[in-house]
Amino acid sequence: MHVIAELVPMTTEWLYLAAAVLFIVGIRDLSSAETARRGNMLAAVGMVLAILGTMQHGLIVKWEWIAVGMVAGGVIGLLMAVFMPMTAMPERIAIVNGLGGAASGLVGICEVIRHVISPSEGATAADFNAFHVGVAGLEIMLGALTFTGSMVAFGKLRGLVSSKPLTYPGQNVVNVLWLVVMMGLIAGLVMAKLDPMFFFVLAAMALLFGVMFVLPIGGADMPVVIAMLNAYSGLAAAATGFVLSNKVLIIAGALDGSSGLLLSLLMCRAMNRSLTNVLFGAVGGGTAVATGDGELQGDPQTISTVEAAERLFDARRVIVVPGYGMAAAGAHFAIREMADVLKERGISVKYAIHPVAGRMPGHMNVLLADANVPYDDLVEMDEINPEFAEADVALVMGANDICNPAARTAEGSPIYGMPILDVDQAAQVIVIKRSMSPGFAGISNELFVAPNCAMLFGDGKQVAEQLVETLSL
Amino acid sequence: MKVVVPRELAAGETRVAATPRTVKRMDRAGLSVQVESGAGVGSGITDTEFRESGAEIVGDRAALFSGAEIVLSVNPPDAETVDQIPAGAVLVATLNPMIEKDLVLRLANQGVSAFSLDMVPRIARAQSMDVLSSMSTLSGYQAVLLASMAMPGIMPYLTTAAGTLHPAKVLVLGAGVAGLQAIATARRLGALVWGYDIRPVVKEQVESLGAEFLELIDTTTEAEDAGGYAREQSEDQAARQQQAMTAHLAQMDAVITTALIPGRPAPTLLTSEMVSAMKSGSVIVDLAAERGGNCELTRPGQNFTSDHGVTILGPLDIPRSVPAHASLMYANNVANFLLHVCRDGQIDVESDDEVAVGTLVTSGGRVVHERIIEVLEIPGN
Repeated sequence: MHVIAELVPMTTEWLYLAAAVLFIVGIRDLSSAETARRGNMLAAVGMVLAILGTMQHGLIVKWEWIAVGMVAGGVIGLLMAVFMPMTAMPERIAIVNGLGGAASGLVGICEVIRHVISPSEGATAADFNAFHVGVAGLEIMLGALTFTGSMVAFGKLRGLVSSKPLTYPGQNVVNVLWLVVMMGLIAGLVMAKLDPMFFFVLAAMALLFGVMFVLPIGGADMPVVIAMLNAYSGLAAAATGFVLSNKVLIIAGALDGSSGLLLSLLMCRAMNRSLTNVLFGAVGGGTAVATGDGELQGDPQTISTVEAAERLFDARRVIVVPGYGMAAAGAHFAIREMADVLKERGISVKYAIHPVAGRMPGHMNVLLADANVPYDDLVEMDEINPEFAEADVALVMGANDICNPAARTAEGSPIYGMPILDVDQAAQVIVIKRSMSPGFAGISNELFVAPNCAMLFGDGKQVAEQLVETLSL
Repeated sequence: MKVVVPRELAAGETRVAATPRTVKRMDRAGLSVQVESGAGVGSGITDTEFRESGAEIVGDRAALFSGAEIVLSVNPPDAETVDQIPAGAVLVATLNPMIEKDLVLRLANQGVSAFSLDMVPRIARAQSMDVLSSMSTLSGYQAVLLASMAMPGIMPYLTTAAGTLHPAKVLVLGAGVAGLQAIATARRLGALVWGYDIRPVVKEQVESLGAEFLELIDTTTEAEDAGGYAREQSEDQAARQQQAMTAHLAQMDAVITTALIPGRPAPTLLTSEMVSAMKSGSVIVDLAAERGGNCELTRPGQNFTSDHGVTILGPLDIPRSVPAHASLMYANNVANFLLHVCRDGQIDVESDDEVAVGTLVTSGGRVVHERIIEVLEIPGN
């Protein structure tokens, strides 16, 4: 596109170079908390320079539309920044990303219309060779799917779209075929000189694909999806850069694409799941949904030590459910002391010992005996299960799988069929745990988000000791 | 279906594959149980007690096996017994199939559908059927008692008018079910306990019992396989481990070794050189004696004292020494398994249930378990 090159003045090139450098440094700075703010500012400045540089582009003949765009965009951006709370950050990013994709896609369509469908003097079909057709196709495809995908992601985050994965049998196959057909269309447009109307078919297919691709992913995984869509919009931007021979777009797009992908992979690693599992995992007998693999419907309620002490104080029957967490924390002594204080008030305290609690047979017995808990207070599972319905408080001390209701019903779950303690039958369940991390079986626990359950986050030993102190006052 | 519980013929065996409680459970499930006369004697269960729980007592072994549809056994049946099992019958026992090729082939030829409980998959649902876990629990506990009786002193820390008795130092090598139980028991007796395992994930488990995890080398390679078993180490790893451990061994009053690798001989953790670094009067209890032992000097089935005063115990079949609980646990494992695979009074040997598939060794005249076919190199069935 040597014609265009002449229309780009030197100042633009310098501004673009400065912008590119600022983008790269900016993203680098984003990777650490101390430099993140600075990185954000640098990238923003880079963007301003890029815009200034573009405004000097020789191809610009009229300014009205540009002014409208700048004002409208600026106002919307300002309103979003001021009024959307930080907690809505993922939704914000979803919108912004989607619109970026839409912009790329629209540029692609524009270029196709300008050069191929209604060519004019400044832009002829001859200027648009096979390479440009190819990248324009990619740009339209990536831009469109990023747009709709991000909008669906926004919907899921906002609760406008069901956050449950929406699957159907054979979905992954359909999606792959769809993608293959779209790539085939691009190839056809490049090599077989298909009618340019097929660009619009491609756009329509890509818009649908964005929806199809994101629907089967659970709401809790949206951050990963947005990072991926971010990567795709980056690729779309890079493709736009190739179509327009715009260096800074290519650079910015490539940065966006690679950082988006890396971010997705890092997030998946932190969740201890693979990227393919996140993107395609829900399809296939709905097992991932049933086991709640990494995804709980709802947030757990939390409770403070003082509130927990109050519930215990007012109870008549308390059942303690010890697990490996209690052993690892060495909390058994403090728990016994707490039980003593409660018993002095006439509250009945029993310990429900599940047959596989802990990491060895009899693990709980050994430790509780060590802490001098009377053998009579320990009750085995079959005997104590009917009593949970009459318990005022069930205090779960670092136990997880052994009270996970998934064992009763979720057929695909690794713990399915294992008899559990019916902790969820108690009037109030209090779970003392360090975090929401899964237990030995590696799955999430529906009990934690039940309405009668509250999480007391903290180190088992410290929490138990605090409970003793508070209850003794 | 007719379930039979023969008397165990292995010399010295005290256990039995059913107890009055499990007989009642099987009876309630619609199975009719026949027990050979005297089968429970070793475990303190009389014929009367079995009869009262709903079993029929049969004196003649041949009559017992005739028409038997399910046979329950603790030990692998001997050749004669296998021949008495009717073709098409189901056998539930602990067969050690990765090593006992002749037995496996014999069972296959006899047309027996044999389930081997030591092959039960190690998944949450099957924990109640895991005989290895049950027996290891008992062995781990007993090992400490054996050590304490062989030691010249007692375990706990006592400050007395007649002097201060310092606590015994006990090292447990291998922190699986047996190792952890040994750690817990030694702690209960008042000893200072260290635990060691090549799987670093086990550190927290050892500490959760109040023992210290022995830090030797930084094992960064994958020491744990899919079933939670330890992988065999490379020679280099093993050599470095041995060197680092010797310094600690010199301080120990008792060392209990529990390291086993499924289907392979036990790994050597204590070379004779390492043993000679230990102090006189110290004790080694080698729980892996039946698979060759973790200690080079171990004499399986014997106890002896080395030239420089280290007593080395190589006990075999420890669960037999606590038959009441060993039978209780084993019988429960068997009943849990049987009632799991038995639906509407039938056992479906073709079932694709994970537990059944993982445990079934032979059926329909052939060996069917893929891993066993591989390990025993059985030609195309």
